[in-house]
Amino acid sequence: MYSLLFKSFFRTKIFLVSLILLLTVGVISILIGKQYLVKQEKTIAAAQVFQEESIKKNVEYHSEDLGLLLYYLRFTLIKKPQNINAISIGQSDVNPLLQAVTIRGLEAQKYDTDFENPSLLMSGNLDLGFVIIYLFPLVLIAMTFNLYSEEKELGTWRILAAQTSGKAKFLFKKLLVRILFVFAVLIFLMFLASAMLQIPVNANFWAIFIQSVLYVMFWSALCFWIVSFLKNSSFNALALISIWVVLTILIPALVNNYVINTYQVPEALDAMVEQRDGYHEKWDLEKGATMNEFIKEYPAYKNYPVPEDEFSWIWYYGMQYMGDFAAKNTSAEMTEKIMLRNAVSEKIALFVPTMHAQLSFNSLAGTDMVSHLTFLKSLTEFHKNLRQGFYTKIFDNKSADSVDWKNHEAKFYEVVYSFSWFKLLLPTFLITLAIGILGGLNLRKL
Amino acid sequence: MRKNVIQLLARQLWQDAFRSKVMLIASALMLCLLLFSAYSGWENYHDQNFTRDEIQDEVEESWENNPDKHPHRMAHYGSFALRLKHVLSVFDMGMENFVGNAVFLEAHKQNTVNFSEASMSTGLLRFGEVSLAMLLKVIVPLLIFYLGFATIARERENGTLKLLIGQGITRKEIVFGKWLGLWSLSLVFLSAIFLVLLFFVLIESHDSMHTDSLLRYVVLLVAYLLFFGILSAITILVSAFSATAKGALVKLLGIWLLFVIIVPKSLQAMGFYLYPTPSKIEMETAVEHDLAEIGDSHDPNDPHFKAMKDSVLRVHNVENVEDLPFNYGGFVMSQGEAMSTKIYLKHQEDLYEVYGKQNNLERYSAFVNPYTAIKNLSMAFSGTDFQSFLHFKDKAEAYRFKLAQEMNQLQMDLIPNKGKEGPNTISSDYWKEFPPFEYHFLNISDVFKNELISLLALVLWGVLSIFGLLRLSTNLKAI
Repeated sequence: MYSLLFKSFFRTKIFLVSLILLLTVGVISILIGKQYLVKQEKTIAAAQVFQEESIKKNVEYHSEDLGLLLYYLRFTLIKKPQNINAISIGQSDVNPLLQAVTIRGLEAQKYDTDFENPSLLMSGNLDLGFVIIYLFPLVLIAMTFNLYSEEKELGTWRILAAQTSGKAKFLFKKLLVRILFVFAVLIFLMFLASAMLQIPVNANFWAIFIQSVLYVMFWSALCFWIVSFLKNSSFNALALISIWVVLTILIPALVNNYVINTYQVPEALDAMVEQRDGYHEKWDLEKGATMNEFIKEYPAYKNYPVPEDEFSWIWYYGMQYMGDFAAKNTSAEMTEKIMLRNAVSEKIALFVPTMHAQLSFNSLAGTDMVSHLTFLKSLTEFHKNLRQGFYTKIFDNKSADSVDWKNHEAKFYEVVYSFSWFKLLLPTFLITLAIGILGGLNLRKL
Repeated sequence: MRKNVIQLLARQLWQDAFRSKVMLIASALMLCLLLFSAYSGWENYHDQNFTRDEIQDEVEESWENNPDKHPHRMAHYGSFALRLKHVLSVFDMGMENFVGNAVFLEAHKQNTVNFSEASMSTGLLRFGEVSLAMLLKVIVPLLIFYLGFATIARERENGTLKLLIGQGITRKEIVFGKWLGLWSLSLVFLSAIFLVLLFFVLIESHDSMHTDSLLRYVVLLVAYLLFFGILSAITILVSAFSATAKGALVKLLGIWLLFVIIVPKSLQAMGFYLYPTPSKIEMETAVEHDLAEIGDSHDPNDPHFKAMKDSVLRVHNVENVEDLPFNYGGFVMSQGEAMSTKIYLKHQEDLYEVYGKQNNLERYSAFVNPYTAIKNLSMAFSGTDFQSFLHFKDKAEAYRFKLAQEMNQLQMDLIPNKGKEGPNTISSDYWKEFPPFEYHFLNISDVFKNELISLLALVLWGVLSIFGLLRLSTNLKAI
């Protein structure tokens, strides 16, 4: 029975078209992922060379004045790229994967972006995640919308009905053949990606894999449900495409608009201005105004003299520190707002498999917003360690030779993943189950 | 062609449409979406501009409130430029959320425009945004296809097409009657959205902007009218050349997918693949390299700066920089600023040229994909395309340069050279005199120039549609 069904399916035009479409676009999407990884590697290599050379050059010029030298020097923190990023590039095209910062005020440097073509950002990357979320459902729809109606419209249904005992079972088998084909392509592409992009087959890979399988299951159930109404082909096509538009375009976009408008982030702009003013106004104040606050934070430096009529590095870096200090609360509020945006989106996504798939792909690939915020947090820590490491030497007016510059190559920050299988898989699973049962109930009257 | 026959056929299409559930559901859905996107677009426009305006004022106030000081301190104090949204961004968000909103303007350094909405968003932004234009660009085309796929194919399937022709109605009348019926049906959605938009344009009446906004509005209206005419023609043509209504529907859905999602996205990806861009760190390294080629202002023996000093001394006929009639430090600074800015802008221009090449692949595809034409036109005339952003960026950079150079000039004129008698600070009145950053949107004639290709493509598609319909009128098969 199955071999016959497979044979007749392989003879259809839609099978060939789907196979070619999915394989071509799938391979292209993997190549785009590859290109993305190559660009990242190139950027990192450039940053490493840049840092080494700029230290060498600047040390030559300013070897006598460490304070001045560190005014210029930039230190890079790199979010170590994982090959799995390439499956779901997510937000990592908007947010840079590395930041080069001086030990001056961090707030003004933290949000510097890389150069990206906004047209490309707008249209989004054609990564494997996109192919799975958008194209796989379309292929499923194209192959199943006339599962029953075709037989009816061609007049073959009566013959079939007379020949098979279980009509519903027959339809189910026909559907299964198509679903199995889609799964075969999905599994092939996933492992092709893993091989071509050298993604280690670890928990995150499996999580993305299983999430994809569930997602395709969800669409299969949906197609089955619509087919189970036993309407004509045009109705099915219309209904399924409408559902596709609503689920992959309208609802996520509506939620996005809602979240962006409800949780606006004027704090971003406020913090930027506060930082500048917090630093610059200190130039016009008594030096004590800066030093008292700075010493409160760093009591170890309280014995350093700060002459009122003379420039001193402790005062200068104290002022820089005060800029960040002034923007600290607003900056924290900004991060909180962005986290809130994320939390709300994730909550709504539990009920919409397309959104859930996208958000979980991103977070499993480490290309979501939260991952970037964690990176920024560790950048703050990195900056703090740098400052504290250099402060004493600068304030003691040491020369550049007192620092071992070999220890100051570009540093990597490792992404730490954690996710809950339960939260990842349950929502889509339950929705799929519910729709499948509805479809099954409908078919009982056949 | 008889006018009343065409009207009759068009009216019949309307009646059929309103009798079916599709139109009812679609209209209800469209109404909800219209209300939502109008509200969210307006709220976004208003709140964002309010915040940015407020901060721009705050920035100006703090600038003016600076006490007397050395002008170079003010050059470092710097300013901010905040990008304002055009009122038509309510209609089409375009790249609005993918480009930065604020840039810090300071001496010696070109900062990136930061805090794009995208950089503060979740991955959901990848699904797109709902705006009035998105409804017209994505949803209404689908509705046109839904409402029109059966027009001719089903009449033929049912045999009614033969009857019509038998009754003495010409093929031309059938084709144009159906086309006008479908087109006018799509205008129901178009007019609803443009009426709402007109309201927004009118109440946001800043005198000088008013005519400009209205003009942009009219262009958008005409472009969308044309676009829907083209889509209606495509629908009729596909319907006529399909054996069954189902076949027509499947083909049209395929066309929609290709036009709206697959072709634009693949071409953008391909452009990116063909023309790789450098990262920021690579460009900065290149800029630094070029600057070092010219000379190093830190090195007292650098040939470039030494030659400059010597020639300045010669011109003024003095031995030492201390004897110059102006502050030499300010002079070096202003020369350095001009030099580094020139080099930076050169590299930036190269970068944008690559972006241009990347985007051109999609831009020129407007000749095979009318959707691309309307997409680009819609963004450009709503002031939310890349060119509009670049215009802002250029203005901000020009302001930065002016600010830095003005402060350098003040230093040259008013701060005495080292060792000379005189104050090391100047009056705060100078800060108050310096004009604040004010942004004016891109001129509409420039927008026309930028979008010449899209306009041309759309007009060409219009001509092609009429031509196609005329051809169809002669060889429409009745059976």
